[in-house]
Amino acid sequence: MAKVKIATDWLGGCAGCHMSVLDIDERIIGLLDAVEFTSSPVTDLKHPPKDGVTVGILEGAICNTRNIEVAKMMRERCQILVALGNCATFGNIPAMRNLVGTGEALKRAYVETESVVDGLIPASPELGIPVERVTGVDKVVKVDVFIPGCPPSADAIYFAFTELLAGRIPEFPPEYFKYD
Amino acid sequence: MEMVNLTINGRSVSAPSGSTILKAAKDVGIDIPTLCDHPSLTPIGACRMCTVEVEGQRTLVTACTFPVADNMVVQTESPRVVKARKLVLELLFSERNHICPSCESSGNCELQELGYRYGIDHWKYPAITKRFPIDATHRYMFLEHNRCVLCGRCERGCGELAANHTLGLGNRGSDSIINCDAMTPWGSSTCVSCGTCLQLCPTGAISDKRSAFMGRDTETERVKSTCNRCSIGCGIEVATRSNNVLRIEGDWEAVVNGGRLCENGRFAPLFESRKRITKPLVKTGDRQTEATWDKALSTAAELLGSVGGAEIGAVTTSDATNEALYLLSLIFRDNLKVSNVGMVNGAVPVLPGLPCGSLQDMLQSDIIIAAGVDPVSDQPVASFFVKRAVDLGARLILVDDKENELAPFASKKLGINEISTAADIAGEAASPFVLYGAGIAGDAMRALAKLGDKALFLALQPGVNTYAADALGFNNGFTPKSAKVLFAQIGEEGLTTGHMLAGIDDKTALIVQASYQSPLTQRADIVLPATIWSERKGSLTNSEGRVQKVNQAIKPQGEVKSDWEILSLLAETLTGKPPVTSLEELSTLAQQKITNKEI
Ligand code: SF4
Ligand code: SF4
Ligand code: SF4
Ligand code: SF4
Ligand code: FES
Repeated sequence: MAKVKIATDWLGGCAGCHMSVLDIDERIIGLLDAVEFTSSPVTDLKHPPKDGVTVGILEGAICNTRNIEVAKMMRERCQILVALGNCATFGNIPAMRNLVGTGEALKRAYVETESVVDGLIPASPELGIPVERVTGVDKVVKVDVFIPGCPPSADAIYFAFTELLAGRIPEFPPEYFKYD
Repeated sequence: MEMVNLTINGRSVSAPSGSTILKAAKDVGIDIPTLCDHPSLTPIGACRMCTVEVEGQRTLVTACTFPVADNMVVQTESPRVVKARKLVLELLFSERNHICPSCESSGNCELQELGYRYGIDHWKYPAITKRFPIDATHRYMFLEHNRCVLCGRCERGCGELAANHTLGLGNRGSDSIINCDAMTPWGSSTCVSCGTCLQLCPTGAISDKRSAFMGRDTETERVKSTCNRCSIGCGIEVATRSNNVLRIEGDWEAVVNGGRLCENGRFAPLFESRKRITKPLVKTGDRQTEATWDKALSTAAELLGSVGGAEIGAVTTSDATNEALYLLSLIFRDNLKVSNVGMVNGAVPVLPGLPCGSLQDMLQSDIIIAAGVDPVSDQPVASFFVKRAVDLGARLILVDDKENELAPFASKKLGINEISTAADIAGEAASPFVLYGAGIAGDAMRALAKLGDKALFLALQPGVNTYAADALGFNNGFTPKSAKVLFAQIGEEGLTTGHMLAGIDDKTALIVQASYQSPLTQRADIVLPATIWSERKGSLTNSEGRVQKVNQAIKPQGEVKSDWEILSLLAETLTGKPPVTSLEELSTLAQQKITNKEI
């Protein structure tokens, strides 16, 4: 049987959810019999292949225009899109800047920080432009599976993989369902 | 009681008429989710979490307010109900800041629990992220408006349980916030720091500063016990983690206080800064040195054996357990034949043969006489009940010659020599209640006693366990002067200078049982280190004469022992055999003696 292709990518997050994927530990070896991780931020190939994957996984919130591009690319190239973690599902910690506004937050971080002298807000054309309001992934592309958690536990992620491999959309039992 | 029969989720249920659907369901184990409702508060039906489907009703109804009726058919988890609840949750999560990882309440939050229960795995609506202030001006708590769901539990608790009316709802619509005295910073408001609001808040909007971020419920242990800060004896629940007390909460199930606590009971014990004594000390020459328990106790026994009963004195704090008071009486009064025994503070003589009322009874009364008591400062939870009764329509007659903090709530103020007038007015009432204290005596007492069976009476004792100390004979004019050997059981008491023990003769041999270092322990020939409230076991008797358990919440520091344990060992050293074989036996003996006292 052909292996199920999975790609992961990250948006505005802390990489904690990817760490939690690795926390699956030795179970990942068994998983590799059935799936192929085509690309991820920690592999050589960073973005999902053009010919597409079955499952696309996104960590992180939508914080800037670059995040929107990455989210859209993943959506186009996968059949089932998984929002992994609180940031991808709710916006979470990055979205707390909504309480002060993006402009204020940038100023506080790059100009007014006590340790900064003559600070400048970065504005390189290579960087994405911060959006006014940070949101979860579902506010820019359609999401099929949400796995909240900051980060979700390795067990929750493993459960999601096994359910998806069995052809089911996972419904998380209470022990795997959390917001922190 | 008239019962009605209804069906809930296909089950036949019978419930008292007038009860709500929520109550009827709960009684048979059907769990309807709630948020703004709390069993100790008046339901207001504000949050709509508890919506259920009632056959024949056009719209869903709120179970917390809707009364049951005969033949009613209720569905509590039908698809329509679940859909409505999810919508309510979606809307609650879309307002303010419900980003749990940065919230003090995560893991202890009713809103979060509901999100889990109904599988809210993303937010349908974009979150409104208006920023609200944080009020951290209060000494013990902070109010984080950004986590508030406007359930109004804090406000109702402040009004209905503490009867303090500090909290209210300010602004309008999505700008609404809970506020203190119409927009006064909490720290400078009329708040009396009872913490009722803290205990009621279902979310991270009100948090305890001291224990914030120090452990969620799953990481803490809870032990029920009894507050030892005054003679009300409020039921408490002590939350601990790794042998540290994090927080004290009111026990909702406690008959005495029904969850209420005051500042002294809830917060003060956690701000203790005196130095503990953790090992027995014995004076050799003019220096105290650490000693074993054996050495300290045998030295104490020698001292006590070196003089006759007439030359011994024994004095106790009123914060000793029933068990310790019983043993103190056994050792000193019975065995050593000491008559110079007493307590650090006096007792209110309980009027003989009159019906005793509880604080809860006060809420049903129409006239309250408060004579010679100032519960606002001395027994604060009692004052919450007085003020609540006044809110419910009772008239308060204050009888006191001193300034009294109940004065603003009184409809009549009389001097103690006018007490008969108060009794006459109460005599005309349907259900009068008499609260009296150390401020009245003699004739004034007799004037009140004339009310007889017509009224309920409660004597508020000035000390924690004074009722028991009095019953065991410790209220009989102790004088330190005539004692050659003095046993002072001080416990946690902080003795102010000029106190009766300050007049001890220089030559008196002094054995002190105490928890904290003080001039008295420094002066002592033998110091026996005792547990504090959180470490001890035993029982206390409150002003009503109700015997309540004190349970150990954390392990004792160093080598300290419970007050009764120390006395049990002393008795064994003196007589060669232990006076009792177990705490249970001792508690029973003590309780018999205390509650059989002739009044
Ligand atoms: S109040 Fe409750 S739901 Fe809101 S952030 Fe705190 S834990 Fe989460
Ligand atoms: S602590 Fe007590 S008095 Fe103060 S606001 Fe809260 S409920 Fe009211
Ligand atoms: S502060 Fe807490 S109890 Fe008060 S309304 Fe807000 S959520 Fe409810
Ligand atoms: S009223 Fe007395 S017993 Fe109750 S909490 Fe306050 S100090 Fe403790
Ligand atoms: S619990 Fe019934 S409306 Fe809030």
